[in-house]
Amino acid sequence: MRGIETISRGDVSQDSLYEQAADTYGASLDRLARAYELDPEARRDLLQDVHLHLWRSFAYFDQRCSLRTWVYRVAHNVATGHVIGQSRIRNRLVSIESIEAMPGSDHGELAASQAQALERLETLIQRLKPLDRQIIVSYLEGMDAASISEITGLSPANIAMKVHRIKNVLKRWFSEGGPHAD
Amino acid sequence: MPTELPMNDPRNIWQNQPKEPFKMSADQLRGKVQQRQKKARFEAIFSIVLGFFLFLFFARACATTHEGIERVGLGVLSLWCLYFAYQAYKWIWPKPQAPDGTLNTTLQSYRSELEKRRDCNRHVWRRAGLTFCFLGMAMIVGPLLIRALDDPRLLLSVAPLFVLLAIWLAVFFPIRKRKMQKLQQEIEELRVFEAESRS
Repeated sequence: MRGIETISRGDVSQDSLYEQAADTYGASLDRLARAYELDPEARRDLLQDVHLHLWRSFAYFDQRCSLRTWVYRVAHNVATGHVIGQSRIRNRLVSIESIEAMPGSDHGELAASQAQALERLETLIQRLKPLDRQIIVSYLEGMDAASISEITGLSPANIAMKVHRIKNVLKRWFSEGGPHAD
Repeated sequence: MPTELPMNDPRNIWQNQPKEPFKMSADQLRGKVQQRQKKARFEAIFSIVLGFFLFLFFARACATTHEGIERVGLGVLSLWCLYFAYQAYKWIWPKPQAPDGTLNTTLQSYRSELEKRRDCNRHVWRRAGLTFCFLGMAMIVGPLLIRALDDPRLLLSVAPLFVLLAIWLAVFFPIRKRKMQKLQQEIEELRVFEAESRS
């Protein structure tokens, strides 16, 4: 079996690519796991799963895309699989368009602390469907539309439209205190 | 990490959140993968052995029963157990990682995951060989029920089982249909996105 051969061979380039990716994107992967799983125990398992898949994937890395694109594709694919597996949660997820359409709050308050603001951000992300979640995480990581497009496979025009909506929603959630409906 | 951050800048808040250090060396990962493969193999072997054990149990019962229809029913059930063992090998036994999977964009990967789920739901009855399982059980229980017509107390004692089976069948099909409709709708939406990005 090829998979087992790869494991026992201990490919040097596979290991070094993984270590390079873990050093460069370790913190981003940690944040990415937080976007897909709130429970700390389950999040740690998910993060371990992401790292396992990433290490295994480097046996096939052919530099057709950048290391960053590869890392994010693998990580999002694993994390999305994690969300898809939880059918009860998956059925309640909504698109960014649905959240944008929710009425705004008249008595919203600004987050009082960084922890509260982060919690608010996590609440928003956890409600989104996987594709929108991938886009918002990439946006929050500071990526431009072209990079997000390369990772997700959505057209740059679609990304631009989604990012515009994300910005609107974030502005509302962080300047006005979030929508009415929960 | 700065202690004071603007609370209305989500990017800053996101990128400066507390870190939970996670570090695994390549050797540790290699060990973990081997451990997982071992566990998956054990689960597959357990299911295969269980399938063979049930096959032998029903085959033996088939050989010792003299009633014609019950005998055929037990034979069908024993063959279904062999099929169960084969399915356990096919689906649970660890397989090498597909190299193309990692080359996919997240959109393609998401769509293909949803399609897998849809196909799994669509073919669950056939894949699990449930027709043969229920046919075998009906052939065993049917003659018993006919004999029990003379004794209504016996009929009452098996009634809860049939009520539960009827409820399960009444719930199973509509839920499966709704799930598949939702999945199909989402797959279609993703296909539109893919078509847009190709054009």
